Amino acid sequence: MTTTTPKTPAPALRPSPHWLRLPRWSFAQRRPRSALALGLGLLALIVLATIFVPMLSPYTATAISGKPLMPPSPQHLFGTDTAGRDVFVRTWLGGRNDLMMVVLVVLGSSIIGTMVGVVASMSSQITDSVLMRLTDALISFPGMIIVMAIALVFSGIGEVGPFPRGALPAVIAIIAINWASYTRLVRGEALSLRSRDFITAATLLGYSKTRIIVRHLLPNLATTVVAYMVVDAIVAVVTIAGMPFIGAGIQPPAPEWGSLMLAGSTVLYSAWWVTVMPGLVVTVYGIALSLIADSLLAEVDGGAR
Amino acid sequence: MTVVGAEESSAPTTGGVKPERGSRHGRHRGLVRALAKRLGQIVFVLVGVVVVTFSMLHVIPGDPARLILGKFANPESVATLRHTLGLDLPLTEQFTNMVVGLFQGNLGTSLVSRTQTVNDLIWPAYANTMSVVAVSLVISLVIGISVGIITGIRRNDGLDRGLQALMVILLSTPPFMFGMVLLLVALRTKIAPAGGWNGTPIDSLKYIWLPALALSIALAPVIARSLRQSIRETFAQDFVEAAIARGLPRRQVVLRHVLPNSLLPIVGLIGYSLGGLIGGAVVVEMVFNIPGIGSRMMAAVGSRDFPVVQGIALVSAVTVIFFNALADAAYWLIDPRTRTAGS
Repeated sequence: MTTTTPKTPAPALRPSPHWLRLPRWSFAQRRPRSALALGLGLLALIVLATIFVPMLSPYTATAISGKPLMPPSPQHLFGTDTAGRDVFVRTWLGGRNDLMMVVLVVLGSSIIGTMVGVVASMSSQITDSVLMRLTDALISFPGMIIVMAIALVFSGIGEVGPFPRGALPAVIAIIAINWASYTRLVRGEALSLRSRDFITAATLLGYSKTRIIVRHLLPNLATTVVAYMVVDAIVAVVTIAGMPFIGAGIQPPAPEWGSLMLAGSTVLYSAWWVTVMPGLVVTVYGIALSLIADSLLAEVDGGAR
Repeated sequence: MTVVGAEESSAPTTGGVKPERGSRHGRHRGLVRALAKRLGQIVFVLVGVVVVTFSMLHVIPGDPARLILGKFANPESVATLRHTLGLDLPLTEQFTNMVVGLFQGNLGTSLVSRTQTVNDLIWPAYANTMSVVAVSLVISLVIGISVGIITGIRRNDGLDRGLQALMVILLSTPPFMFGMVLLLVALRTKIAPAGGWNGTPIDSLKYIWLPALALSIALAPVIARSLRQSIRETFAQDFVEAAIARGLPRRQVVLRHVLPNSLLPIVGLIGYSLGGLIGGAVVVEMVFNIPGIGSRMMAAVGSRDFPVVQGIALVSAVTVIFFNALADAAYWLIDPRTRTAGS
């Protein structure tokens, strides 16, 4: 308790990180296991659908398979779009693109952010404050605006592997801003861990910094980082799906949740399903992930927060 | 419990304990230091924004002169235009010119419509976007605070759980998706014009509220949860217990004792959510066809209008930084406890 560390964690001037103050399922706090199972189940359904629906469906994402703007029916579960393409197949193929991008964004940001955060917490005061000022600067940016500009810089990147044109510039742009929130989180946690006895013991035993980071710090940071990665995966989809609205993100004709909804907006009045069906899938995805995140957090702190 | 509290609170008045005495200056020094730190941070961020946007725009593929004149223009006229636009100067010189301009409040001239300054182009759009953000903030506060109070004073009953579940579902819905659903409702029921704008924000009040409502599903749930949590924390404190023990009616305990002490985190939350809110507004206003910074930015990005892109990035970053600083200052003013924590 009384150990004086050269650096104290940031004063409690600000409320706890915003993602801890996001609304939570009370269900997940009371019965974390069932909530986790439900969330994972929903997520698994979505992932399986993005893999198998485009493979097994009699329709393809780009071919015309019926009359334009047919309402949902047993033949076309989500109806057809303005060109008569099957919205069901397009939604799940689009989901595949979205999920691949989300995985890249979350992995990229968490790896960079965690590394910078650990380095900041273990290094000199000057390095630490330079890194943290940079982090503050990035966090205070209005993300969407700057993401537009960064995506433009990398707009030369075309189709790479399974990623359609426009996907990678968007991923790079989001990571460029997004890693900072991991850094702030990890640094705070790492600083409070550093004052704990087991880290002091490891230091006194003469273990190297690398060993302390790898064997003691990182395993203890893992739960927090993973819980935040799940929350971040919701934010990432909202950002990715929002990009087509401002002319960035995946370029047509490749489908993507956001661009499907944008395409539907012109016929919103007569054919709501073109917009609403992909939108519902995004919402269910968000619900699944927030169930997972909340049950993880409930396991961590026993609902104390 | 209460005895200990009484002893503690009587200590400063008896003057027996020195440290708090004459600390007025100390407190101000703390404030000055915190402000200076904040100012340093702001300068750092601003320099960062300027350098980043400037260098970014010069590595972007595509020559603005070529874009303005079209694919078939001859190289000489492209070179002439590059010269008139100042694009042939060394980068250091372009940078210095820009920085000097910034200090004069001049964000430059649009490369595309060369009669218009960046200031002329972005401020009307900025006003439109910010008016949507402002109305959304009001809606979020009304919804968030009401739900926060209801769920905060009820203990895990059906209404509390139901509202919390609703908040999670709203938060899982992207604002632009909710916006489109609202648009659909507006089209069917004619409760509001389905998108569009009419000149200045003041003339457009009937156009604003729908997009603002769409945007507020990103913030209202966060306010609600934050308030719920802080109301519960406040309820656990001794002074609330004392108020209840004095026999005050429950309504008065909540309104006079619990609520004022629970609202503080909301102040910070608004300051820190503003960046995300502006980002969300940029997308939502595209759904509702509002001529805000989103469409202005999109046009500028498409035509490689560097000064406009840079101006928008700079102005929106400054807005966010300003409101963050304002939130910090509000903390200092409202809650004396935070003053010692900073130093």
